[in-house]
Amino acid sequence: MSAAAEMTKTVRGVVLVADPAREPCFTVVQTDDEMQDWPDMSEISRRERLHRHMNNETGAIEIAARCLVDYPEASWDLRMSLARQVADESRHAMLLYRRLTDLKGFKGEFPIANLEWGVTLMLDNLPGRLAVQNRTFEAGLIDILGTMRNRWREAGDNETAELLEGILADEVTHVRFANRWIKRITEEEPRNLLQVAKAVRYLGQVLERLAPRVGETNALGVAWSEERRLPPAVNVEDRRAAEFTEEEVAEVLRQAGFRSILPSTAPGQ
Amino acid sequence: MGETIRQKADRVGTFRFISVHLMETLARWIPTTPELEAKVFFGRQVWDFAQHADWLGRRTGELRSPMQWSLQPADGYLKVLEAMASATGTMERLTGFHDGLLPDLAARYRSYISSTDPLNDEPTVRILERILFDFQRLQADRAAFPAVRPDLILTDTAWPGRIATLSGAETDYVSSRAAVRTAVTTA
Repeated sequence: MSAAAEMTKTVRGVVLVADPAREPCFTVVQTDDEMQDWPDMSEISRRERLHRHMNNETGAIEIAARCLVDYPEASWDLRMSLARQVADESRHAMLLYRRLTDLKGFKGEFPIANLEWGVTLMLDNLPGRLAVQNRTFEAGLIDILGTMRNRWREAGDNETAELLEGILADEVTHVRFANRWIKRITEEEPRNLLQVAKAVRYLGQVLERLAPRVGETNALGVAWSEERRLPPAVNVEDRRAAEFTEEEVAEVLRQAGFRSILPSTAPGQ
Repeated sequence: MGETIRQKADRVGTFRFISVHLMETLARWIPTTPELEAKVFFGRQVWDFAQHADWLGRRTGELRSPMQWSLQPADGYLKVLEAMASATGTMERLTGFHDGLLPDLAARYRSYISSTDPLNDEPTVRILERILFDFQRLQADRAAFPAVRPDLILTDTAWPGRIATLSGAETDYVSSRAAVRTAVTTA
């Protein structure tokens, strides 16, 4: 891993790239135990979910933008995909901000963290960055959105559910272009697979150090249970649409304890 | 204009270089700009300039140059692009780009359209017309921005004027291909 030209920070002994610029209204924290999140769908919990998601989309804008800047030698079709991703994530951030204000929330209402930026920008190669940001973080978002759109609907908020449905469709395309490109470059040059493998291993090590442990609490005193630490149910249908192989889907299912979202439970499809 | 195919390709390749440069400038600014609304403003326009570069790059391939081929502009114009990109304040970035540089670039596109044979060079003309159509939307977004963030102030009020003056002074923006050894392909 290398971030020679980057400003860095150290969080629990892990070196990460320093946070991107944020407005003073935001309280930027470093770990999950400093975040505020509620397990229910109360009004404040809904606002916090939108607020957190808004900042995550902002981070996704920034990461894709940096990939465009840092790798001018990348193939033009990949750069086009990254440019489109920058624009998509920008729309997402603004959509979530608009919905947050609809629900009487505001920027800076809750703490934010920039873990994805800090981890991904530590990687000095594009295969590694796409493996971590698009194939892992964004693919994880596919799972989360698959579950959350249903929770928002069950809570009676169809407007937010529809918004998340639109974001989910875009995220599938972001994961898919990364999957296609990584497949292509590893077929062309098998050594690229090493960069992908190193990046994924590095991410695993970081998460192992920083993930909350059972019994620890967040800033509101809500404890992390075994269940809360489990990965979200796997959105099998959309992972397939993003062109993960059957073997890759099976592996994610195994890690999630074989919990999946059944396609028939996804309204509006 | 009476230019050869090669001269036309040089001009289109230069336009492509500029579009890629503007795309990268916006992308470079995003992580270092604090305001969410400004990040989003820049981020949405990254895709516009990527598409412009793509259209122009397809055209270079039709003009007997490589597909997605860029030609670095004349040194003076390149320095203008770099000066504009060096802004650090949010409103300096936004106004230098939209009030300083883009009107001059639009004028160069219009100049090309008015001086080429619209039938013989119709594909290039159509591309530049589409880009100019997009520019109207970009400028409308820029005009609406102060209402979105009325608290953001242009500290260096002369900045956009300086960029406009610098870019307007560089009449010869296309380098001769033979003179440029750093032509960038597929960047």
